[in-house]
Amino acid sequence: MTKELPLIADLILMRAQSRCQYADFRFEEIASERIATASQQVEPIEKSLSAGYAVRVLKDGAWGFAASCRFDLNEYERIVDTAINIAEASAHVSGMPVKLAPEAVYREKYQTSFQTDPFALSLKEKLDLLLYWEELIAKNQGITFSSTFLDFRKTTKFFRSTEGSEIEQLLMQTGAGINCGIAAGHRQRFERSFPSSSGQYVTGGYEVIPTFGIEDNIERIAAEAVALQSAKECPSAETTIILSPDMASLQIHESIGHPLELDRVFGAERNFSGASFATPDKLGKLKYGSDIIDVFADTSYPGGLATYGFDDEGVRAGRRPLIKEGVLVDYLSSRETAHRIGKPSTGAARADGWGNMPICRITNVLLEATGQRFKDMLAEVDDGIYLETIRSWSIDDNRENFQMGTEVGWEIKSGKLGEMIKAPAYSGNTVTFWNSCDSTGSRDEWVLWGTPNCGKGQPGQNARTAQGSAYLRFRNVKVGR
Amino acid sequence: MINRNEALSLLKDGLKGSTADQTELVLIGEDMSLTRFSESQIHDNIFRAENTLYVRAIKEKRIGITSTTDLTPKRVAGTVADACKITSLVPADEKFVSLPAPAAVEKVTTYYPTTADFSPLQRAKAVQIIVTEANRNKLEAAGAFETTAETLAIVSSLGVEHFYTGTTAELSLTLSGAKENSGWARGYHRNVEKIDIAALAARAADKGTRSINPIAIDSGEYTAILEPAAVGQLLLFLGFMGFGAKTLTQRRSFMAGRIGEQITGTNITITEEPLHPQIRGIPFDYEGVPRRQVPLIEKGIARGVVYDSYYAALAGVESTGHALPPANRFGPYPKHMVMEAGKYSLEEMVKSVDRGVYITHFWYINFLNPMRTMVTGTTRDGTFLIENGEITRPIHNMRISPSILETFSNAAMISKTRELYPQYSVVMLVPALKVNGFSLEKIEES
Repeated sequence: MTKELPLIADLILMRAQSRCQYADFRFEEIASERIATASQQVEPIEKSLSAGYAVRVLKDGAWGFAASCRFDLNEYERIVDTAINIAEASAHVSGMPVKLAPEAVYREKYQTSFQTDPFALSLKEKLDLLLYWEELIAKNQGITFSSTFLDFRKTTKFFRSTEGSEIEQLLMQTGAGINCGIAAGHRQRFERSFPSSSGQYVTGGYEVIPTFGIEDNIERIAAEAVALQSAKECPSAETTIILSPDMASLQIHESIGHPLELDRVFGAERNFSGASFATPDKLGKLKYGSDIIDVFADTSYPGGLATYGFDDEGVRAGRRPLIKEGVLVDYLSSRETAHRIGKPSTGAARADGWGNMPICRITNVLLEATGQRFKDMLAEVDDGIYLETIRSWSIDDNRENFQMGTEVGWEIKSGKLGEMIKAPAYSGNTVTFWNSCDSTGSRDEWVLWGTPNCGKGQPGQNARTAQGSAYLRFRNVKVGR
Repeated sequence: MINRNEALSLLKDGLKGSTADQTELVLIGEDMSLTRFSESQIHDNIFRAENTLYVRAIKEKRIGITSTTDLTPKRVAGTVADACKITSLVPADEKFVSLPAPAAVEKVTTYYPTTADFSPLQRAKAVQIIVTEANRNKLEAAGAFETTAETLAIVSSLGVEHFYTGTTAELSLTLSGAKENSGWARGYHRNVEKIDIAALAARAADKGTRSINPIAIDSGEYTAILEPAAVGQLLLFLGFMGFGAKTLTQRRSFMAGRIGEQITGTNITITEEPLHPQIRGIPFDYEGVPRRQVPLIEKGIARGVVYDSYYAALAGVESTGHALPPANRFGPYPKHMVMEAGKYSLEEMVKSVDRGVYITHFWYINFLNPMRTMVTGTTRDGTFLIENGEITRPIHNMRISPSILETFSNAAMISKTRELYPQYSVVMLVPALKVNGFSLEKIEES
């Protein structure tokens, strides 16, 4: 198929070009494999291949988009004509015409780095690893259920636009994780996960799995699951909290990443996943966080689930500041939305596979670590709670009020970790919360976390995103059950 | 759209290449058209034609599952071969008994050419009606109008052979203003002509204009009127947390150990009703088993859960026809839940409240404690104070963290009219509820 793509793109764009202001052709093939176990039993293996193409046209200042997984001449013509027909219908409801922020023309190939292609390895080798993890979990007394998984995805992309860009990309991603716990009685369940509740995902091949440290942590995680049975409830209080890097990643995702998606800011999600308080009139003015908060969108940062050469409308990857010394300075934007604020796109236009239109998504959103190590951060806390591993999250439709829960917590007393707390939760207002951050942790404890299941858009589009953070400390936060 | 003959021929040809003991081929096709609008103009407008073939092969209880979107004979054969190959590499699942035997299914007509052929221009004209209503009320329109034609074809080596085609149409819209005001409405039908665009726009506009400058109220327990959408959102999560046999078998369901027990008030009856005349679901599941009616909660008593063939064999019961597509991690799941209606009009329910809160729907509901059916979320797009039996003032959105079973147990009144509420490919038929002692927490403001 790859060899035929330039020809297909020619056919499609030639048919579109004379009838539109702009058109692009995007092909995607996603090969995926998920191998999982549940309590030492191998779950059915999932191996899938999804391949198709989309045509996006801009006519009379409005978008039209059509996609198909059928590859023949008649279908190419039908899809182009449908996209144009849709654009004409879009223009029927008059409004502000779509204009695109300028972007250079590229003719490039890009590939994320990996050493061992997981798809080339035998299924047995991968299954043996999971069953070994299951064996390690089973050695721990008291555990009544467990699960493990490996998840691989190889994406091939081909993009061409009427502006002249032609881009080929190969992205390899790997994920893995474990979970174990105790079902105690009918209404009680205690569980712990590692590296986080949905594992850890990065760009890379099979070689990345040992770097997750799963085997080294199984005994600790299992012991903590057992200990949760007798852990105390979280008190209701306003106190100092420290978030583990994985929980900090979720906090960044929900209360910095999503509010800064520029299409959401302009109301594109008003009817579904909501709006954002971070409106353009606040650009350069809003004190989003304390002075130590520096956040970048960096699609060129190695290893992230949004690490790529170009986004899905051909914008080159790069590092762009979003929040500088606590002040909002830019958004996660597409060419269309960036034009509206007079800035270049930050390369965040991403589509879920071939069949969806690119929309503004969280990319690799990185919070710089400029503070101290965890133990030193802890030493400065007389009374507080340390929270670890994502359990639950919810945020209002303007991205202002959130409630988050973790699998486990520990009291902090006089600078040291104290008793374990089960299923703690914390809540707050986004801006108040980020302004209460007084330590962003140490660079040598900074971790880039992959989120494989970010939802947005209609029809629902799943995106893979990443957030980077070390431990974070916040003052005067409301905690409870 | 792939037609009956094309689909069944493709699946039967694919089946011939299998070397497994048992093989099943499932084809899911969808032609989806969607217009999204915001800022009172269209911003996304798409068409997608997609077919996905799933192959499940079983050899000596070893299971392999593959899928592809490429329906060329070569790739179909390769996908079947890959599934067979997996069976030689994985350990046996000793709990697996068999793919289902063939069974007759009811003929259900759910294909409407009016929906399948609904054009981009027709969708644009609908958006124009909504925008006009928004403008008339000094509001801004956002929403999505989706029409879909779907097919499901199944063939197995045991003789299962089914084909289904149907259509759905869904319109949701939010009309909002700059004074924290917004109103929301949603319509769903298999025949797009049955969606009353103007009425939905008027409903959203009414709430959008009545919710200007909301006031704050204290956190506490209130009598709440939950509109059908709000009830549907809670019911959806209740279903996720325990109406499927996988969660029951793994004792992750709140139903575990409680079948036959009173778990809500006696006025609550929830039934999985795939062929309910207002829902008209696909008459068979993704294994080709006829979808049956299943009582889930009957007059407050936990009655049962839904099964696919795998979990039915484990439990020693018959499948209720609730398998999801192959390789899903969720197990069987009810996709057509119906809550029994009550005897009150919505107006009577509001009139009966001295001081309470009226809730249009919720947002970002997520699990807190599934075994206790606890979730959290916030209210959205039309939350009002009820005083002396009347909706008086708009209030700020508030956070909820209820136990869903307790909420249903506290239902003092149930409406006689019900609405279809679709979400995440589940369609529910739900009434409005008057709930006593519903906890609402004030949201911290900037």
